[in-house]
Amino acid sequence: MALIDAPGHEVRPAAPAWAASTEDARKVYGTGETAVVALDGVTVGFEQGRFTAIMGPSGSGKSTLLHCVAGLDALTSGVARIGDVDLSTLDDRRLTVLRRDRVGFVFQAFNLIPTLTAEENITLPLALAGRRGDPAWLDQVIATVGLADRLRHRPSELSGGQQQRVAVARALANQPEIVFADEPTGNLDSKSGADVLRFLRRAVDDLEQSIVMVTHDPVAASYADRIVFLVDGQVVDEMTEPTADRVLDRMKQLGA
Amino acid sequence: MLRTALRNLLGHRFRLLTTGVAITLGVAFVAGTLVLTDTLDRTLDEMFVGAYAKTDAVVRAEGSFEVTGVEQRPRIDEGLVGRLAQLPGVADVQGEVWGFAQVVDPDGDLVGVPGAGPPLVGTSWADTALNTFTLEEGRGPKGSGEVVLDLGTAKRAGYSVGDRATVIVGGRAVEVTVTGVASFQGSDSPAGASFTMFALETAQELVGEPGKVDSIALSAMPGVSEEALVAEVEAVLPDGVEALTGDAFTKENQDDMAAALAFFNQFLFVFALVALLVGGFIIFNTFTITVAQRTRQHALLRAVGASRRQVLLSVLVEALLVGLGATIAGIAGGIGVAAGLKRLLAAFGIDLPAAGIVVSGRTLAWAAAAGLLVTLVAALAPARRAGSVPPVAALREADSGEAAGPSRLRQVLGLLTLGIGVATLLHGLWGDPAAGLAVVGVGAVIVFLGVAMTARTVARPLAGALGAPLSRLGGMPGRLARQNAMRNPQRTATTASALMIGVALVAFITVFAASTKVSISKVIDRAFTGDLVVAAPGEAAGGGVAPGLTEALRALPEIEHAAGIRAGVAEIDGTVAPFVAVGPEAHELFDIDPRAGSPNDLDATSIAVQADVAEERGLEVGDPVPVRFAHTGEQVLTVALIYGERQPAGDWVLGLPAFEANFPPTQNVDFQVFLDVADDVDVEAAVAAVEALTDEHPGTQVLDHSEYKASQLAFVDQILGLVYALLALALLIALLGIGNTLALSILERTHEIGLLRAVGMTRRQLRRTIRGEAVVIAVLGAALGLVVGLFFGWALVSALGDLGLDTLAVPYLQLTVLVAIAAVAGVVAAALPARRAARMDVLQAIVGE
Repeated sequence: MALIDAPGHEVRPAAPAWAASTEDARKVYGTGETAVVALDGVTVGFEQGRFTAIMGPSGSGKSTLLHCVAGLDALTSGVARIGDVDLSTLDDRRLTVLRRDRVGFVFQAFNLIPTLTAEENITLPLALAGRRGDPAWLDQVIATVGLADRLRHRPSELSGGQQQRVAVARALANQPEIVFADEPTGNLDSKSGADVLRFLRRAVDDLEQSIVMVTHDPVAASYADRIVFLVDGQVVDEMTEPTADRVLDRMKQLGA
Repeated sequence: MLRTALRNLLGHRFRLLTTGVAITLGVAFVAGTLVLTDTLDRTLDEMFVGAYAKTDAVVRAEGSFEVTGVEQRPRIDEGLVGRLAQLPGVADVQGEVWGFAQVVDPDGDLVGVPGAGPPLVGTSWADTALNTFTLEEGRGPKGSGEVVLDLGTAKRAGYSVGDRATVIVGGRAVEVTVTGVASFQGSDSPAGASFTMFALETAQELVGEPGKVDSIALSAMPGVSEEALVAEVEAVLPDGVEALTGDAFTKENQDDMAAALAFFNQFLFVFALVALLVGGFIIFNTFTITVAQRTRQHALLRAVGASRRQVLLSVLVEALLVGLGATIAGIAGGIGVAAGLKRLLAAFGIDLPAAGIVVSGRTLAWAAAAGLLVTLVAALAPARRAGSVPPVAALREADSGEAAGPSRLRQVLGLLTLGIGVATLLHGLWGDPAAGLAVVGVGAVIVFLGVAMTARTVARPLAGALGAPLSRLGGMPGRLARQNAMRNPQRTATTASALMIGVALVAFITVFAASTKVSISKVIDRAFTGDLVVAAPGEAAGGGVAPGLTEALRALPEIEHAAGIRAGVAEIDGTVAPFVAVGPEAHELFDIDPRAGSPNDLDATSIAVQADVAEERGLEVGDPVPVRFAHTGEQVLTVALIYGERQPAGDWVLGLPAFEANFPPTQNVDFQVFLDVADDVDVEAAVAAVEALTDEHPGTQVLDHSEYKASQLAFVDQILGLVYALLALALLIALLGIGNTLALSILERTHEIGLLRAVGMTRRQLRRTIRGEAVVIAVLGAALGLVVGLFFGWALVSALGDLGLDTLAVPYLQLTVLVAIAAVAGVVAAALPARRAARMDVLQAIVGE
């Protein structure tokens, strides 16, 4: 089933090879006169083992797209899938279990539970599932994000950058099929931000993870393998092997 | 500022509701207690006014001495009635006899419980206009064997005019005919009491004394005032007899009743105050939490120019509004509480007459003062904290609900308060007994405050320790629950403290009751060496074992020894004291540890005294003791025996001959007979033989040693049940507090909950986390309560050692159950907040502001 998205832009049909995907995704907030269309027929796929960035100006629907694909929000119509599971077919419990077992999350802020240590935060999804996890994998993840000496610390004893690295480690701890990151460097200074992005990059390169990241920062987006551009709730363009300069140019053209 | 306060309130309806309810319940209890007592007061007042409307004067003997506020009077000669009737100012004159009578229904069951609940009265029927009853049907009693019953008793027993009925008087069953039923001032019976009314001579014979009356009621001729009548009557009265006006007599009855009710009022009021205290804790906690949560808002107000005072006032006004609303709701609810209390008390055998509802100014004033004062005092500290927020705090990160432990000063203050409370309590228990009870109460309140203040210091480690099993067994939800209970020690401590109060009082009363039971059991085991007890109804109210039954039992071949026990009150050696009188074989059945003299020497003019009392008063065998009896007046008895065992005999013991010499025949009944079964006879065979004799006396029971013990302990359970029921409200309010704290904490942790849900916590796990936190707080409160309650129990039992409460019993099982109940209640309290949290929109929670 071939679907036409933006004018003149052809997208490949959704296939099982996608880590996550949408088909004609629509999301409308409110009703009647005051209705706001956040997603206006988005069909997009995120490949396994790759790092995809979603970009767009404010109000383009990029965060909404991420939330809907990640199972945090429901579409008004259309389909959102993790692997080949249609999220709309799941009740709250099964959706929660899916998020716990198959998805990783990194948010812009409030990523950690203040009463738990860094290590407990990292293994939180595993603990909620009542599992121990693969120790070798966990060691590897912790080594990758460089937190081995901070495991016993509480979030309040960590810097903002360290907290986000713990969040990245938590997102990877259960070997998810896909990791969603929502402006993960939005609250960080450029050096800490670069650290976090490098770890996301290594997670893809070294640990073969699939990552989807929403950002408005061209530098952050340049760490991705592919960028999907959203404007007014529609996919308008994409770019592979981006650089910060090319992204910036494209964003200017899109009027961001 | 008023507008800010109002908007804050309306913006947080849930918080408003729970805080308000905590105060409302306390105020409703206060108001309900007052409404109930005022209603009772008025009902009884009106009843007396109606009953004595036609009584212009009352003649009676002067009082001999008072027993618990009631004058004990001898009877007066019936001849006086005739002499008074001759006086020109007298219209009607009526001699009256008062005593005990209990109706037996057609099935052989007794109507009413003597000594508990409304009185069971056997009295004379007035043939004159002075009769306070109104015949509804039939006629008044003429000769012996005829009675009029009050309508209430007739209905309960199922008797109507013309029926043959059984009435117990002076320990024996008497067959009578019901010739009439009568109502009393428009109600079925006077305040629920049972009245069996005989013709005057029959009443004298059965419940009084032949030729004697207890009092004489008079009405005046038209135009003669009450005062003039009394003056006229007084002129002819013999020595030792007094006259008073009908108004004075009515007033005296009202006052006596009011005094009896005042005790009752105070008893209930204590529980109302407990409820208010718990409510105060919850308000304090709620405002403390919300003030912390609104730090930025208050800082912003300060930054834009609000003064420290204005911010402080805005919080106080908010509290005042909550208090006001809750007080109004509480007063309205008080009317319902009054009805509920009445029903509760009725369920425990205390049936009160109450018609209509009286909401007096006093009720409104007390309820309003209680509601507003508690709210304001509790909100004062949080309000001051709000005022002291610096403007710069507007720019800081929101408070995440973490809090450091209390400062050293606070810790010292807490310990100091605790110390003062303990000292006050102990001083009240061992110090001046007159002020004792009030001082003990104040001490207990200070102890509660002290523990609550100190609890902040220990809340973190204690919550950690109590939550450890949860953390180990409950997976991640259990771990988070434990951590959440530990993260803000002050909040956890205050919430737990509200529960502590109720649990402490329940634990205290449980320990006290258990100790009382064990102590009484021990006394019975130690002192009563016999096998069986024959008990009859009305032992404390004028009834007793049928005359001659004791002798008949003693004559049975199965019985080795039998001793009847009688009880009375007299002014002995200057002090009004209760005493028992024992039959000749009592020393064979009771080990009272004779020290000097012999029980066989107890004749009509001798008395036995307990060794400590004897020492205190310098009495030895052969010494004279002045004793004033209600009927025979001043007598001098000689000490014939000094004994060591204070329980159960008490301080003074008389022999049967001395009792018979000083009490009228109708009071000369044994209230219990103690039996020793012959050595070679099986106890069951003896019981059969005894029952063959007692069967013809309705209500007379045969109890073995353990049954007797149980019967003596039954009152403890009854009081315990009532106190539990009254304390349940304090526990309920504390649980509301747990729910409230959790709801506020959840609000604070919205982001955190959103995150947990996003990374895979199911709704069930989230609910379990919140319930777990509630359980840790509840168990912490219960644990603190147990410690305080055990201390209270120990202190009281130690202080009352002299009164025979010599054993501290700790009922571990009941106390464990109490903690378990607290834990379960915590789960219930968490239900609503947990549901709210689980329903929270994940995305909103995590990205929303």
